[in-house]
Amino acid sequence: MSQDVAPGAVRPAAAKPAARPDEGRWVPYLFIGPLALYLLLLQFYPLVQELLLSFTSTSLLSPRDHTYVGLDNYRNLIAASDFHQVLLVTFVYTIACVVLAVGLGLAAAMLLDQPFRGRGVARALVTIPWAAPPVAVALVFVWIFNAQYGVFNFVLRSLGFESGQENWLDSPELALPAILITTIWQIFPFAAVVILAALQGVSSELREAAIIDGADRLSVFGAVVWPTIRPSVALLALFLTIWSIRRFDLIWLMTQGGPIGATETLVIKLYREGFVYRDLGQAASVGMIGVAIALLVTFVYFHFTRRAEIAEGRR
Amino acid sequence: MTTATMRWGHALRIAAVLLILAAAGFPIYWMFVTSLTPSAELFAVPPRILPTWSQRDVYEEAFRAIPVATWLANSALIAAGTTVLSIGLAIFPAYALSRFRFRGKGLMGLGLFATQMLPEAMLVVPLYAIFGQLALLNTLGGLVLANTAFSVPVITWLLKGAIDGVPIDIEEAARIDGCTRVGIVLSIVLPLVAPSLAAAAVIAFFHGWNEYVLAQTFISQEALRPASVGLASFVGELSTPVHTVMAVGLLYTIPAVVFYLFVQRYVVAGMTAGSVKG
Repeated sequence: MSQDVAPGAVRPAAAKPAARPDEGRWVPYLFIGPLALYLLLLQFYPLVQELLLSFTSTSLLSPRDHTYVGLDNYRNLIAASDFHQVLLVTFVYTIACVVLAVGLGLAAAMLLDQPFRGRGVARALVTIPWAAPPVAVALVFVWIFNAQYGVFNFVLRSLGFESGQENWLDSPELALPAILITTIWQIFPFAAVVILAALQGVSSELREAAIIDGADRLSVFGAVVWPTIRPSVALLALFLTIWSIRRFDLIWLMTQGGPIGATETLVIKLYREGFVYRDLGQAASVGMIGVAIALLVTFVYFHFTRRAEIAEGRR
Repeated sequence: MTTATMRWGHALRIAAVLLILAAAGFPIYWMFVTSLTPSAELFAVPPRILPTWSQRDVYEEAFRAIPVATWLANSALIAAGTTVLSIGLAIFPAYALSRFRFRGKGLMGLGLFATQMLPEAMLVVPLYAIFGQLALLNTLGGLVLANTAFSVPVITWLLKGAIDGVPIDIEEAARIDGCTRVGIVLSIVLPLVAPSLAAAAVIAFFHGWNEYVLAQTFISQEALRPASVGLASFVGELSTPVHTVMAVGLLYTIPAVVFYLFVQRYVVAGMTAGSVKG
């Protein structure tokens, strides 16, 4: 993505001009300065505050009174079995989001890549869920999943499923699947659009050559299509992972993490500790674990993309 | 392959496309149908599949009973402010990251990337404290400042990627003509990355329009609520009928969807030219 973060990435061919003789060395800093200050004040400083907060006992009701408690907040988390469930739910939710969104996005992109009448319109319409505000999405899906009057259960009954009275959002087994259905509906168009753009880079000559050589569809995909789109899919997967770890509004408004923690991801847990139990120190410790996980995911991504590039001899 | 199987394959593909489109559009349609369903039929089984036009004063009622117009106006102001500030803050750093070599460049790049990982919900508490000290709670300007902090990193990336694709020679020519660096950025580079600029603007606008958790925490005055917070206040509240809630939801959704359909061509072009290029 950038030469700074991914040293293996191909650099733009043009040589970069050094600062002109009549331009001081400070010009780049003048360009960067305002944004750097802005992010220092509104991202870095709060992050440090959050880190410090995680070593204290601080109540939402008197946020200025801190009692230093060392690693107690972290110890509490490690000892509590409900936090293990939070990690498990976050993991399952994230993996399911990435796999299903990429899978469905890939299928949709392959379909929309084929020529047919009205393709432009179809490509535009499929992106609608991505444009819908999450708060509105949460509200309509709560209505759709309503146990007695929801259209989802009605469709299930019409399709001949016995009960068709499932209390989706109130059931410990079904709440996470319902949240996943909602999330996938919202994010798969983004995956489809990114993969569709990547598919435009697939060489049609290579594809035709493979078909003439008698390759079936699956081997054409494996030999020609997949190697071309893989870097885009990898980056897409990274973004989907981070977004799934971050997602708050959809889950909070649909289930508030319930029932009995069945949909409680890290971010929901953080918000609950801070704004329901009013324990800012505990909330901050959950947040720092979230940051650690996000950084780990990013590190793993760059490690593997770099290895792949080395293996392909791009360095 | 015979023509018959090819035709079948084509028909099957079209059917699959239609199925995907139906799934994508259904929830929005369902908001619409529910908003135009009479109270008596809201809980009917089977549910009503088509809207009832005679029911359309539900929208008039929503505007009368609920401050929907204020909510939407606040959302629009927040979104517009976030767009302008994000783009304004991102242009020159994006150019500098693309064109200059300087100490600390790697750190800046890493910082921009890392900030995309931070969830808003995580920084709500310290941000609340900072904005309280600056007396920016309960102001739309404060929300614009906070939202921008979360939208500007990805936008800077996107613009940097787009500027990477602008040939350097074009700038050299302008430079010989005596253009200043700022002049080059504004009059030569920016027009050339217009699609990415449009994509960046749309991303920032949607960020501001959709944002919920910061607004929910920072805004306690009714008159300053954006639509996300207003709509969320219906969750778990039983006195507002479902069709009114869906009407308000649709009023909040439709501007976003229509706006997106108009600009989506630029968004796709800009995103693929910029950040999601790999």
